[in-house]
Amino acid sequence: MAAADPTAFRDDTPFIGPARAPLVTGGKSVRWITDRVTGLALRDTPWQWTAAFAVSLALTVMLLGNVAYLIFRGTGVWGNNVPVAWGWPIVNFVFWVGIGHAGTLISAILFLFRQNWRTGINRFAEAMTIFAVVCAGLFPAIHVGRIWVVYWLAPYPNQMAMWPQFRSPLLWDVFAVNTYFTVSLLFWYMGMIPDLATLRDRAKNKVAQFAYGIGAVGWTGSSRAWWRYEKAYMLLAALAAPLVLSVHTIVSFDFAVSQLAGWHTTIFPPYFVAGAVFSGFGMVLTLIIPAREWFGLKEIVTLRHLENMCKVIIVTGNMVGYAYAMEFFVAWYSGNAYEAYAFVNRALGPYWWSYWIMVSCNVITPFLFYSKKFRTTPWIIFVISIFVNIGMWFERFVITITSLHRSNVPSSWRYFSPTPVDFMMLIGSFGLFFTLFLLFCRYLPMVAIAEVKSVMPMPEHENLNAPGAHTGQDSINPPQTGDFRTEGAY
Amino acid sequence: MAHHAPVVDPAALREDIGDLAGKFRIPLLLVGVVGLVAAGLLASLSDDGWAKRFLFGYLWAYWFFLTISLGGLFFTMIQHVTRAGWSVTVRRLAEMLGANLWVFAPLSLPLLAGVLFDGAGVWEWADPVLVESGPTADLLQHKEPYLNKPFFLIRCAIYFAVWSFWGWKLYALSRKQDETGDPGLTQTMHNWSVAGLPLTFLTVTFAAIDFLMSLTPTWYSTIYGVVIIAGCAVSVHATLAVIVLLLRKRGTLTEAVTVEHQQDLGKLLFGFIVFWAYVSFSQFLLIWYADIPEETEYYLVRFSHGWTFVMAMLLTGHFIIPFLGLLSRHVKRRDSTLMFWCVWVLFMHAVDLYLFIMPRLTHDAVHAGIEDVGLPLSLVDLACFVGIGGFACATLLTTAAGVALVPHRDPRLKEALAFHNT
Repeated sequence: MAAADPTAFRDDTPFIGPARAPLVTGGKSVRWITDRVTGLALRDTPWQWTAAFAVSLALTVMLLGNVAYLIFRGTGVWGNNVPVAWGWPIVNFVFWVGIGHAGTLISAILFLFRQNWRTGINRFAEAMTIFAVVCAGLFPAIHVGRIWVVYWLAPYPNQMAMWPQFRSPLLWDVFAVNTYFTVSLLFWYMGMIPDLATLRDRAKNKVAQFAYGIGAVGWTGSSRAWWRYEKAYMLLAALAAPLVLSVHTIVSFDFAVSQLAGWHTTIFPPYFVAGAVFSGFGMVLTLIIPAREWFGLKEIVTLRHLENMCKVIIVTGNMVGYAYAMEFFVAWYSGNAYEAYAFVNRALGPYWWSYWIMVSCNVITPFLFYSKKFRTTPWIIFVISIFVNIGMWFERFVITITSLHRSNVPSSWRYFSPTPVDFMMLIGSFGLFFTLFLLFCRYLPMVAIAEVKSVMPMPEHENLNAPGAHTGQDSINPPQTGDFRTEGAY
Repeated sequence: MAHHAPVVDPAALREDIGDLAGKFRIPLLLVGVVGLVAAGLLASLSDDGWAKRFLFGYLWAYWFFLTISLGGLFFTMIQHVTRAGWSVTVRRLAEMLGANLWVFAPLSLPLLAGVLFDGAGVWEWADPVLVESGPTADLLQHKEPYLNKPFFLIRCAIYFAVWSFWGWKLYALSRKQDETGDPGLTQTMHNWSVAGLPLTFLTVTFAAIDFLMSLTPTWYSTIYGVVIIAGCAVSVHATLAVIVLLLRKRGTLTEAVTVEHQQDLGKLLFGFIVFWAYVSFSQFLLIWYADIPEETEYYLVRFSHGWTFVMAMLLTGHFIIPFLGLLSRHVKRRDSTLMFWCVWVLFMHAVDLYLFIMPRLTHDAVHAGIEDVGLPLSLVDLACFVGIGGFACATLLTTAAGVALVPHRDPRLKEALAFHNT
């Protein structure tokens, strides 16, 4: 906490009654925001960044080395067996794709719902989304085994009459993830253009000017450019909103269209989407709490932002808990012996520990956020968000592994154990994620400068929540000096 | 969005429904009685046995009005939980729908009586003969710990207690704020909603399982509750828009509810139509794709005996056509077009519920060996609809009588009045 600055404590969401806490605290000026955000990208490289980047890059190299080893030796280097043919690669895929849901949810769905608190965190979350999807995409690509024919997944006419199996959700996944990645990337990049132009204009050295200049594609900031920008933003938001739902829906179809007990259940599509948003917000919190501390962004990413994200965690966590409960209830209610066995086996079978890790992290943990103290204390949020990440990885582990290892033919039942390569690839994928993420933090505008300015507390804005503001009188009250609590909804 | 709040006449915000309650309460109650008596008489002409045919029509009409009121409760709670500003001017109407939930407890009596009298109700599991030695006795016996009469009645008591209490509580607190103007009550309502929302979600889920899913007691679907709740959301936004438009036509609410709120109700209606399609189609696709006999029986009957037409009608009429129809901003902002689509969607919501319930009659007729079974359309259903609608509307008017149509001392009201779609 910046104790020297008494205004730093004003970013408290525990506001009284219906008044809304400001979205930028500390009485900062418009100029301060530009200076702070561009300063982070244009300063000299801090040694801490170099150190963190070196570690991440080393892990990425380890990942690539393992991929090379896998291609050279074949999929036997994994713990995958029959019947658990999907193993960790698919667990990791679903885990990373799930994390890649928060960014576009924040930028698209929260935009359509006019949740203007999103402006402080959307750039950050969108970047995280893109890098998470990159990590996700790697795993199914290497899991196909014969990676040199992975292009068969692409639907193009050819002389071999190799035509993809359009009836398989695995193929729909290729389309869904690619579309999502493309639109998220476009959305992220388009939103960044004005800020890249700011960086271009402020950069001192030629290389930076040239690079940011390319990225800014000739942005001048004219009102016509802004008008088109806002139109395009709205359209992309409307297009991206169904995509947020579609990706994890299709991922859930990968499991749920089968006849395997524990996979085939109708609640999977909304349940997977809720879980994805849950894990995505968990990861945003894990990343943003240290980031706002280290990069001095506490005035932009305020406790109100953190508390709102915690509330999203509560809601989506409860949805996931609801789905677990429905699955269990219906497993009994259905009277289907295989269904009932699959669920009892999850809770009490050889993988019982993974099931209970999942339930504790995903069902019990969100309830901690019902405490206002917990969801407004950054270090507690940080710890809980880690548990959310762990819980959601184990959820995919439970779904994938426990259902497969007791598949429909008892003679093929087999216990799955991961190999060192499995572990190294999971850890390495975090390396890849953080490598990309650190590059973003170092060179790109971490906060949507122009958007945050639009939600700053401004004296000319109306004071909608002041006492007596609902008398019907048209009043324009400047905020009382030093007290933003009575400031309006902006 | 920094628009200045318009100058609104404070008296206009305190308007209530005027003499509507006094004028229509008794006629509506009479309509209710006449409708239900007519339904009973018409049902006696049915081949299915009069009690059974009556109760099927009754169940359908009951759930139509129940889902709307539950939607009102959900709407109110969600506005509180999200601390919404835009919706203050329309929230009171949703509160009234929620506060009207108590009436569904007495209205459920015929259905509950059907459970108590062996073999007279709509539910197979409540018939001891079928549980003992019916064709699906194995499964019915397996489910007996859940699907049995005492536990069913206990659950019903819990559902009605939860819905009536929360509907009444949020309405009472909001009216108290009208009197005292205490902004702290906003936080109180928020807290009650935080507690009530998950509880309502769970109770509606299990009520949907008990009343509707258990009509086919051998069948199961984990998404069922979500599909029903999606229907609640669709129908309440359409209903709210219809009520707003009707009240504005009478000259009330004209200042408080602007075209912006109207458009937002339209947007949410549009969104929930898509959500309804998403969950309904997910359920269908997964069952169709996996093709497991226990599950496909639900859709098999819905793809035969004329139900295919109703399925196609829902796909087009509950999704594709209103999707295209409600897409444009102008449609949502113009009174006549929004009214058209809301009535359309409400009709489709009724068709949706019809498809949940009535194919069971077809199933029973087929199993009874009747040939040439067609759609079990009957005037009984229409009469039940009129009857339950009469009772529900009469009590709704009583609930609303003398109460301001806008929570005019809500501290966020000014935000709602100042709100503009960009």
